[in-house]
Amino acid sequence: MSSTTLPGNNLARLNRRRRLQEWLVTLPSFIWLLAFFLVPTLIVLAITFKPVEPPYGNIGPGWTLATLHSLANPNYPAIIWRTVWVSLIATILCMLIAIPFGYYMARAPQSRKSLLVILVMLPFWTSFLIRIFAWKILLHPEGYLHKFLRLLGLIQEGDLLLYNTGAVLLVLVYTYLPFAILPVYAAAEKFDFALCEAAQDLGCNRLSAFVRIFLPGIQRALVTAALVVFIPALGSYVIPDIVGGNASEMIGNKIAQRIFVDRNLPHASGLAALLALSTVIPMLFILAIQRQQARAPAPRRNRSTP
Amino acid sequence: MKMNRTCRSSTSAVGGPGAPRAGFFRNWRASLRRAAPLLAAFSLLLSACAKKPPTLHVFIWSDYIKPELVSAFEALNGCKVVMDYYDSNESMYAKLKAGGGGYDVVFPSSYMVNIMQAQGMLRPLDHTLLPNLAHLDPSANRFTMDTNHAFSIPYMLGSSGIGYLAGKVPDFQPTWHMFESPDYKGRMTLMNDYRETIGAALKALGYSLNTLNTNELAAARDLIITWKANIAKFESEQYKNGLVSSEFFVVHGYSGDIMQIMEENEDIMYVVPEEGTSVALDEVAILKDAPQPELAHAFLNYLHQPEVAAQNIEFVYYLCPNLPAYDLVSEEVRNDPAVFLPQEIMDRSEVVWDLGENNALYSRIWDEVKGAE
Repeated sequence: MSSTTLPGNNLARLNRRRRLQEWLVTLPSFIWLLAFFLVPTLIVLAITFKPVEPPYGNIGPGWTLATLHSLANPNYPAIIWRTVWVSLIATILCMLIAIPFGYYMARAPQSRKSLLVILVMLPFWTSFLIRIFAWKILLHPEGYLHKFLRLLGLIQEGDLLLYNTGAVLLVLVYTYLPFAILPVYAAAEKFDFALCEAAQDLGCNRLSAFVRIFLPGIQRALVTAALVVFIPALGSYVIPDIVGGNASEMIGNKIAQRIFVDRNLPHASGLAALLALSTVIPMLFILAIQRQQARAPAPRRNRSTP
Repeated sequence: MKMNRTCRSSTSAVGGPGAPRAGFFRNWRASLRRAAPLLAAFSLLLSACAKKPPTLHVFIWSDYIKPELVSAFEALNGCKVVMDYYDSNESMYAKLKAGGGGYDVVFPSSYMVNIMQAQGMLRPLDHTLLPNLAHLDPSANRFTMDTNHAFSIPYMLGSSGIGYLAGKVPDFQPTWHMFESPDYKGRMTLMNDYRETIGAALKALGYSLNTLNTNELAAARDLIITWKANIAKFESEQYKNGLVSSEFFVVHGYSGDIMQIMEENEDIMYVVPEEGTSVALDEVAILKDAPQPELAHAFLNYLHQPEVAAQNIEFVYYLCPNLPAYDLVSEEVRNDPAVFLPQEIMDRSEVVWDLGENNALYSRIWDEVKGAE
């Protein structure tokens, strides 16, 4: 009797220990996120309900809903709409480049693979800000690119490459592309390409094998890549500030104005909370879809087995 | 002597274990001898620390004082001056409010002097330590509310205006209405600062730039929206690089900023529009918890020594309101209408005052300008 219970006990103890170890391993990152993400976010949320003290933008005592009312600013919907569609287009463009590039990287021979990884990472060796300023030089109206495009007759003397929403999109895609490529590449490298070959043997052409086998196979990485571009793009402030024009202001710029110029911290916090919520909603949405799909696959397998 | 001998005898008696102990002592002494110069140097450093010269901490706008003048002050007073920089009154205020202490001297604009004084952040000035107050140009008093200099002394007077490239803009007119010209569409900038840009539009329409009249503000908003169609962007910093590199042809900016970049591109001109503009008076004050109040007073007084003020005017291209200094600057600077504004333009110009709760009026107009298609 004791011999039958002992392994079970051991297993339970082993499980408990493993769970404890998992806890210990995740504890530092958990504490980090708690201290530097959750608590600040809650503070921002709390400041939204604080009044502005008259003399000079201090946070007053007590609580108020005045900020929530002031968020109904008639100028906000246009800015929020612009922020969302610019971020969406930037995400789509990044994905359209990252998927074939990640695929190509994973299929490349080993020696070229590491070279490609280095090339993707290389821009990070230079400061983010300097790279944005470099775009200002590249797109300068007296610059070589402008002259070259003029020579080809693609643009006119008076056309500007900078200070419009197109420039913001271009630099957003440039900035966040590596963040989209890396997860796609990481998943593609683990992907078993024999599956694609099998699909081709069974009558798929290369494109439909890519779409029907490869893409669903790296689905999780695709979601990660899209979120990693979309969420920072929603909060971008420096890029529209530097290469954007007078009609490419995004919500991040509005938050900066409320803090630095209007000195209205509660209002800025309200906007920031709105932004944080709007990033949480797509994430919850995707999480829900993923959970549903995790439950779903059984019938599909049944269909394919006979 | 006796002790020594017993010691020695005891070690020799113990034998084996005694040897390393003696060795330890010998080594210890040797290492002490070796370390002696190091120790000496260390103690010297300690004493140097004890007699460290006093340090004055100055919180100032960047490029706002001639560096040689600071070195001269250090030599004169046997002290060290540590400078820290800020780019706006608001960020300076925010840092001090958040407890960024340890500074002695700050350079707030006149409206910010009011705010800081009301918050009890400034130290009353001891006029007996400031004999150079006698040199102040009384006409600068129009631009400050602290006319008795109880808490602050005028430091530099500047204006905002228009910088342009003479070669690219042959038909330039000294008026704010330049921004209506479609010929330079996409090559002009207005400041991304609502008091400055709405102020420029108010001046163009002949109103006060501190107005609270909503009709006047609405008219200014409509004028800026017509300007907005022609400008590349609202920009308060990068207009300098843009003008130097011929990216922008006409920019709205601060006099000192634009005059400083003239050295990099000879085509650059600066003009104050004839309708008048905003004049900014930056003052110098001592903080309430200044660790070195006496040295700070000496610094304030030094800045208003006529020869120091004259050298500073020639370096920063703003006007230090110091009467004897006016005769010490070079002929070229003395006749420069951008540094020494013509009287009739000066009369039409105003200081941007902090409007307290009424700032919201301007903020709302600015949101409407930014949101307009």
